[in-house]
Amino acid sequence: MFLLKKFNFLTGYVPASILFLFYFLIISVTLQSQTVDILLKGGHVIDPKNKIDAQMDVAIKDGKISGVALAIPETSARKVIDVHGLYVTPGLIDMHVHAFHGTDPGAYIANGWDALPPDGFTFRAGVTTVVDAGSAGWRNFRTFKSQTIDRSQTRILAFLNIVGEGMTGRFEEQDVTDMNPVMTANMITRLYPGILVGIKSAHYWGDFTQVDRAVEAGRLADVPVMVDFGEHNPPLPIEELFMKHLRPGDIWTHTYANAPGDREVPVDENGKVKPFIFEAQKRGIIFDVGHGGGAFHWKQAIPSVKQGFIADVISSDLHIGSMNGGMKDMSNLLSKFLNMGLSLQDVILRATWKPATVIKRPDLGSLGVGSDADIAVFSLHTGNYGFLDVRGTKMKGTQKLEAELTIRAGKIVWDLNGIGAPDWNAVP
Amino acid sequence: MQKQVLSVTAVLLMSLMTFCFPAISLAQEIDILIKEGHVIDAKNKIDAVMDVAIANGKILRVAPGIPVNNAKKVIQADGLYVTPGLIDLHTHVFVGSNPGFADGFSSVSPDDITFKAGITTVVDAGTSGWKNFPVFKSQVIERSQTRILAFLNIAGSGMTGFPSEEDLNDMDARMTSLVIQQYPEIIVGVKIGHYRGDEWTPFDRALEAGRKAGVPLLVECHLPGLPLEEILKKLRPGDIHTHSFCVASDRTCLLDDDGRVRPYVLEARDKGVRFDVGHGGGMFHFSVAVPALKQGLLPNSFGSDLHRFSMNSGMKNMLDIMSKYLNMGMSIEDIVFRATWNSALSIKREDLGQLSEGAVADLAVLRVNKGNFGFIDAGGNRLKGDRRIDAELTIRAGRIVWDQNGISAPDWNTK
Repeated sequence: MFLLKKFNFLTGYVPASILFLFYFLIISVTLQSQTVDILLKGGHVIDPKNKIDAQMDVAIKDGKISGVALAIPETSARKVIDVHGLYVTPGLIDMHVHAFHGTDPGAYIANGWDALPPDGFTFRAGVTTVVDAGSAGWRNFRTFKSQTIDRSQTRILAFLNIVGEGMTGRFEEQDVTDMNPVMTANMITRLYPGILVGIKSAHYWGDFTQVDRAVEAGRLADVPVMVDFGEHNPPLPIEELFMKHLRPGDIWTHTYANAPGDREVPVDENGKVKPFIFEAQKRGIIFDVGHGGGAFHWKQAIPSVKQGFIADVISSDLHIGSMNGGMKDMSNLLSKFLNMGLSLQDVILRATWKPATVIKRPDLGSLGVGSDADIAVFSLHTGNYGFLDVRGTKMKGTQKLEAELTIRAGKIVWDLNGIGAPDWNAVP
Repeated sequence: MQKQVLSVTAVLLMSLMTFCFPAISLAQEIDILIKEGHVIDAKNKIDAVMDVAIANGKILRVAPGIPVNNAKKVIQADGLYVTPGLIDLHTHVFVGSNPGFADGFSSVSPDDITFKAGITTVVDAGTSGWKNFPVFKSQVIERSQTRILAFLNIAGSGMTGFPSEEDLNDMDARMTSLVIQQYPEIIVGVKIGHYRGDEWTPFDRALEAGRKAGVPLLVECHLPGLPLEEILKKLRPGDIHTHSFCVASDRTCLLDDDGRVRPYVLEARDKGVRFDVGHGGGMFHFSVAVPALKQGLLPNSFGSDLHRFSMNSGMKNMLDIMSKYLNMGMSIEDIVFRATWNSALSIKREDLGQLSEGAVADLAVLRVNKGNFGFIDAGGNRLKGDRRIDAELTIRAGRIVWDQNGISAPDWNTK
């Protein structure tokens, strides 16, 4: 993009073609001297951070992006993959999953059966980074790290639960004496600043205590808080949560859930988005989809999108209760938003650069030269499709994204149709 | 509380009525009626457009023109194939938090992969042995929605890796056969997988366990010290050879250097030895599978060898393997036969892999997409193709467990 910007800036002084040739030469010289490992040729690149939305080539070298430009010569590359007609995007970031899989008897999500090792769901959907949404707290995060994070090919980051035991079970998650902002913040800042990107508050039946402790920890560690607010009977007012308890940059998840008995919903009974929701978004509260097995209803999502209330981040809430239902995977979720009327560029933004900024990881979610080569290549199919919500009702659609190729740190980790492979009978 | 007592009484009463008056329940409602799909049910020799009615988790009827008025839910399946739920004969699903396969991270929870591929039954290929099968059962089998059956490893602790799988003292034919007999509903055979020595003791013990328990032996063939010809000679009719179509350093290829299927392989096949694909991350090559198919050596089953390191490779799921064979020239009817009824025959579970009235309602509704596709083998090489099989809908014991496009669902704004 630096190229295009300068190009525009300078066109008044130098003839465009000469300038173009100049840059082209510089780029080709650089690239030829350093052999490219993989060259993605001719795809439509969407890189919201760098404002690229055009046909370009992407070069990968030593696990990093080494160039994004027009017509990078094929001779410089060890492997050329023709991606004409396909979309090339940064590897998707799924900002809300539960990956702390384990066998602890009786455990729910922390070291339990309901959480999932992510690799079976990520690469086939174009995802290269997941953020675990508070499955572990400071007491059991180390187990999560050695058992799942260190063994997975998917990059796993995490929100640390304000509850020390994490999501061991609804019962344990009520223990206010196990919500220690100092221990939580210390683990983030002193032990695992490269992995822990925020704090999670969830499943609490009481007042605002848990949220307030999470925000206190968030202040101490200078990280955002993600709140799964609900299960209060009667529901606590979310306007108060957004305006008085959370800070700009903090995250409200399960945005389009429709369970008014348990949690206040953004869309009222008349199908109108409550006015304070827009104010909260203006204030900087981040709205996360967190689809899950019970938290995405067309009744909330469709009117919201029509009235301009669009979740900032599209995420899955992957766990065993969501994986085979309406959610399925991130490519299915992005397709839902496409069919609700968002542009492809906007959808990609909300699953790449936007979550990267929310979790303050500007090194991720873009195709900037020098960044890790985490890349997704999508087909956009047209046809007659249907998309389920958690209530088991369907929205029809005509567009569907499918992950053709996924690259993680320069390595091909998914190739649906073998576009990166030679023909079997052409190999000696 | 009173409400609860009432509803409990009602349920009791209803089950009593169903029990006493089967005639009433028959005339009664269909839970799910799948209309006008192309039914392929090899056992019952059905290969035609028909309706399938499901009630109480069982197949109620397969016939043309079943009236919709008795059905609670009608699913239109024209243009789609309706088949018995697929059986993946070769998986590693003893998932846990240890390194490796047995109770380990290298195994995969089957539900992650199965339903989206039309699979309703998986058979674990000896990830556990007699010592840790109870852990496998409580930790995974009882918690999964997928039906999990198993071959029991002759190594008592299953696939614990090298060198502990070499321990002859841990290969007890009698204990293995006793545990198989203890769980006849789940354990369908014995497996021998990894052994680097050149004595026949482990192999013979596995065969002995199979004989004692009256079940087949699955041979995984990472047995570099044992000649393939001898292995196949020792196998009994009904025993199963997996990883059949690969080039691997630790075993003899089924093809000779000129690309001909070795005569003793054909003899074994004619004797009744069954051949499973067992694709995995490294165990299926077009350079073997294509000539083998041309020469008439067909897989009896499409076992995927699902595990953490195969699931994102050339092998994506069992449908991917079936699509490979479709593009290699096998007919869809033959493919479905091998992925359902023929696989059920391999594990002697004739209650599965078919749509007879009264059978458990495990079904797949498949779509054959047309377009430009490619399929990769374990060597990273591609076969181009023009068809790919996708699972639209999967039903396990009468319950919809996968619905890709919501063909079973009402529109959101009309409900």
